[in-house]
Amino acid sequence: MATLATPADPRLRQRAEGLAAGLPPLLVAADRIAATVTQGVHGRRRTGVGESFWQFRRYHSGDPAQIIDWRQSAKSQKLFVRENEWDAAESVWLWHDASASMRFRSTAAESQKHERAALLLLALASLLIRAGERVGRLGEDRRPGSGRVALNRIAAALQASLVERLSAPSLPPAQVLPRHAQVVLASDFLAPWAEVEASIARLAAQGVHGHLLQVLDPIEVDLPFRGRARFEGVEGEGVLTVGRIEGLRQAYLDRLAALRDSLTGLCRRIGWTCTFHRTDRPPQLALLSLYGALAREIV
Amino acid sequence: MGRWRERSCSSAPPVWQLGPLAFLNPWLLLGLFSLPVIWWLLRVTPPAPRRITLPSIRLLFGLPQTEETPAKTPLWLLLLRLLLAALAILALAHPLWNPIGREAGEAPLLVVVDDGWAAASRWAERQQTLAEIGDRAVRERRPLLLLATAPPLADGPVTATRLLTPSEGRAQLLALQPKPWPSDRRAAAAALAAVRLEDRVQVLWLADGLDDGHAAGLAAELANFGPITLFEDGGGRRPLAVLPPAELSGGTGLRVAVLRAGALSGERWLRLSADGGRLLARAPVAWEPGAARAEAVLDLPDDLRNEAVRLELEGEASAGAVVLLDERWRRRPVGVLSGAGIEERAQPLLSHAHYLLRALEPFSQVHQDELAALLARPLAMLVLADVGQLPPAERQRLTAWIEAGGVLVRFAGPKLAQNADELVPVALRSGGRALGGAMSWTTPARIASFAEEGPFAGLRPPDDVTVSSQVLAEPSLELDGKTWARLADGTPLVTGERRGRGWLVLFHITANTTWSNLALSGSFVEMLRRLVALGQGVSDGEAGRLLPPLLSLDGFGRLDRPLPAALPIASDKLLGTPAGPRTPPGFYGTQEARRALNLTTAVTGLAPLPRFDQPIAWATYAERGERDLKPWLLTVAIVLALLDLLAVLGLRGVLPLPAPRPAGAALALCLLAMPDRAAAQSRPTQGADAFALQATLETRLAYVQTGEAEVDEMSRAGLFGLGEMLRRRTSAELADPMGVDVERDDLVFFPLLYWPVVAAQRALSDAAIGRLGAYMRTGGTIVFDTRDANTVAPGLGWELGRGGVNAEKLRQILRRLDIPPLVPVPQDHILTKAFYLMQDFPGRHVGGRVWVEIRPGGVNDGVSAVVIGANDWAAAWATDAEGRPLAAVVPGGQRQREQAYRFGINLVMYTLTGNYKADQVHVPAILERLGQ
Repeated sequence: MATLATPADPRLRQRAEGLAAGLPPLLVAADRIAATVTQGVHGRRRTGVGESFWQFRRYHSGDPAQIIDWRQSAKSQKLFVRENEWDAAESVWLWHDASASMRFRSTAAESQKHERAALLLLALASLLIRAGERVGRLGEDRRPGSGRVALNRIAAALQASLVERLSAPSLPPAQVLPRHAQVVLASDFLAPWAEVEASIARLAAQGVHGHLLQVLDPIEVDLPFRGRARFEGVEGEGVLTVGRIEGLRQAYLDRLAALRDSLTGLCRRIGWTCTFHRTDRPPQLALLSLYGALAREIV
Repeated sequence: MGRWRERSCSSAPPVWQLGPLAFLNPWLLLGLFSLPVIWWLLRVTPPAPRRITLPSIRLLFGLPQTEETPAKTPLWLLLLRLLLAALAILALAHPLWNPIGREAGEAPLLVVVDDGWAAASRWAERQQTLAEIGDRAVRERRPLLLLATAPPLADGPVTATRLLTPSEGRAQLLALQPKPWPSDRRAAAAALAAVRLEDRVQVLWLADGLDDGHAAGLAAELANFGPITLFEDGGGRRPLAVLPPAELSGGTGLRVAVLRAGALSGERWLRLSADGGRLLARAPVAWEPGAARAEAVLDLPDDLRNEAVRLELEGEASAGAVVLLDERWRRRPVGVLSGAGIEERAQPLLSHAHYLLRALEPFSQVHQDELAALLARPLAMLVLADVGQLPPAERQRLTAWIEAGGVLVRFAGPKLAQNADELVPVALRSGGRALGGAMSWTTPARIASFAEEGPFAGLRPPDDVTVSSQVLAEPSLELDGKTWARLADGTPLVTGERRGRGWLVLFHITANTTWSNLALSGSFVEMLRRLVALGQGVSDGEAGRLLPPLLSLDGFGRLDRPLPAALPIASDKLLGTPAGPRTPPGFYGTQEARRALNLTTAVTGLAPLPRFDQPIAWATYAERGERDLKPWLLTVAIVLALLDLLAVLGLRGVLPLPAPRPAGAALALCLLAMPDRAAAQSRPTQGADAFALQATLETRLAYVQTGEAEVDEMSRAGLFGLGEMLRRRTSAELADPMGVDVERDDLVFFPLLYWPVVAAQRALSDAAIGRLGAYMRTGGTIVFDTRDANTVAPGLGWELGRGGVNAEKLRQILRRLDIPPLVPVPQDHILTKAFYLMQDFPGRHVGGRVWVEIRPGGVNDGVSAVVIGANDWAAAWATDAEGRPLAAVVPGGQRQREQAYRFGINLVMYTLTGNYKADQVHVPAILERLGQ
């Protein structure tokens, strides 16, 4: 990962190395999982020769003439059509929310939400690529990539997103995805629910499967305050002065639970899965559950 | 309690005074009434909310806010702020501690200073007050008048100065010094009558606290000028006076009276000192409650008393607390004149003068001279030994001298017996009388008795004094009354007669031993002492002689050169002369015959100042003067404000103060106050683990802590130095050594335990014995080092059985341990070849034999569990962090230290690697190196 950083920018390289230093244990842990899980799932897929070739099939009427493989057809009396694998193969598209609300870290948390999301996605990408999947970044890549090169590219991009102070959108972008693609969306999903629901529904309408990872800071989950406080949003939502936080906490928690219920409900309706993570917990837990959900889909 | 000060100026604000505390802006104190309002405001105003950034704030919008602010300002913060407000208000009211006439205004100041002796002992406080007054006059541009009530040094009248500019006035105030004579308030009042001022002034009277009878008059005069502020010494600090003691009273002690005016605080001591300040005697002065006069008795031998020149009260630096003592109190001058001729000079031990001098010298000052010369100096007593006829002129002078108070003592002798003049108390028969002797039947007579009325009253007649010759008195009616001592047969031995103010005494025997052996007895001395005390004191040859001033006391009671205005005093008037500028207290006369004029001779009593009719503001000289409390209060208020800021920051969560509740804060304070206990409680479990981790994470050597810091430090440094040497020369890399306590620590982690045996080694507990046994059984090696190979005579060699205290202690330890038989290290022992080839094992000392197990068991890989030596190896190995040796080796040489290191390396290798060197595999190579 670090090797891809531009040598001319020492600061970026430094950050990259810092990130890389944090990642190996995760990758090692992911390797361990891969060793136990992926063998049964993906072993048969490796029987093919090339990366793109999948199979020949008989020409049916209606198929365009351009796709006839003449060399194969010449071997027999029948016409054969060559079908490339990548069209049909599953690809996983990753997206994480890099908006201002994700660039937040309370004193109780180990890292920013956004950082944690990037880390989890990178680890997931590593796992997927080791398993032979194709991985791309939603909204960024035109085509998913595979192999170590793709992983390095994703790592560099994620890392760049950590460093840059962009006001990124808090909703996943709309992109035309291949059928049977899978989407992993990591965000806090704290944007107005209607927008969240619409953007997810838009993706789901393309027929892709998806997984939602909600990353929240512990203070967002627990609201561990007392007394009088003046709350401020990070995306210009406004301010709110609360006289007695204790009195509000239960209502807040109810709302948060309702949000999660909405998320899970939405996922159930469209056949996606949903995972919750808080940044004061170790990332491995979330990675495992995310990977488990994804692996089920891939089978 | 408080009283409103008189206003000096109509425009000046009033000053409110509460005891020593005054407020310059008292109406600002009304602000204190606002405190309840502040209380109420603080209670209803909630603390500023803390700011919390919350990305999920959307979830909060629209939630019903059930309760708004039961959140109250915490009580402690409330109190803090109230205190802050109260301090600020008090500070603005401008409080002053010990205020000094703070009345503002332009009115001139009239400063009246009592600068007599009574002011001297507390002059520093007065001077500070004077400086403050001067500073204020300069600051407020107020002209001032100065009136010092004591007559000036140059002996002018007491006058007030003209109206001085502030800076002039300040300089004059600062130049004031106390005078060694009393203040004259009557003269001061008279001087004031001559002062004409247009405006009213402010009067500051720096009084000395004593009333001389004219204080009220002066106050009345002062009240004409303006409001009076009177400064006085606080209670218990008024001046004291020491009265001159009675001159040469009976007994040996000096009885001294000390006067006071009002109650005193603290204890006072009288001090009697000789020339040069040498202390002769010291006595406490104790007043009866309510009494103004106390007497102290200074008890000291006569000869010491004769050296006394100065009597003073300790801690009272004033001329009134000093009494100078002259010859009136000292041993009296006695003149001796012997009538014997040339034969006396030939045999001085038989001379009259010899016996007289020896008897008189202990308690009097004896002059031996011609009669004319003797009479020229002041004498208390004159002794004429066997002087028959005096020339008429001298007889006349003598008579006058006696009339003036002299004591003339005559001794009989052949000349007096032959022709006596009339200067004898009784008429004498011509010729002497011999008692006893070869031609007489009578025996020498003894002294029968001393007369009850005479000066010898109470003396015990000596048993061993005999009189063999005497002159006899003509019988007369008065003879019996004049006889002060008589012999056993009733004849007078000493007769005396009063003449004028003096005495005439006759001893009917000689002053030497030819007529009697009285001169050899103690009674002779005692009788002469009584006679010396008989007189009035020094009697001058001529009355009215002028005595020039010799030394003068200053106001603080220090002797110095005579004051410029001092004049000579006639000797007969000295006693009645009061102290003044012309006649300052001190010594007069010549250095040889000096007379003292004491200030307190005229003092009969001290009285405190009366309460005056006029309205007078009383103030006290403060030790530290006026103090402006405003800056202090403001400082405290600012500190409190900072604390408040911190508290608010803490409440809002900016500072990491998790629970800003008073209980929590108090608890935190308590915890802060006793961190030791908290730490101590958590230590035991952590300590054992930490010890084990430290001991096991790296290979370490260990030493036994003996409890003697020096030995322990040497052990540590020794193993450190050895470790460095091992690191340099071998592949063994040892971490820093650890000290272990065999009573407490687990030993099993260490391959080698270095144990310096000390004399103070305590007996080991059973647990420690068990632990040591286990350690040795499981492969540990203990190196005992008694460190005393140098104490054994050279050549004898240190043996296990011999040695000093350390060896004895070692035996006590070994007795309880399970030790196999020991032998001196055999020649082929592994210790001799584990790394280096060597046969002797020097440390700091050489010669000590090293003992190991005779047949090492197999369990420890053949390593002896015990190595015992006496060479103080640790000291030889010891280095500091830079590798410099800490201790010299004996007898010395780099070779010895090198050998010591080699032994240490062998020892560590031996304990770490066991017996592989014992294998025969290496024998050929070793033999080859040995050149065999």
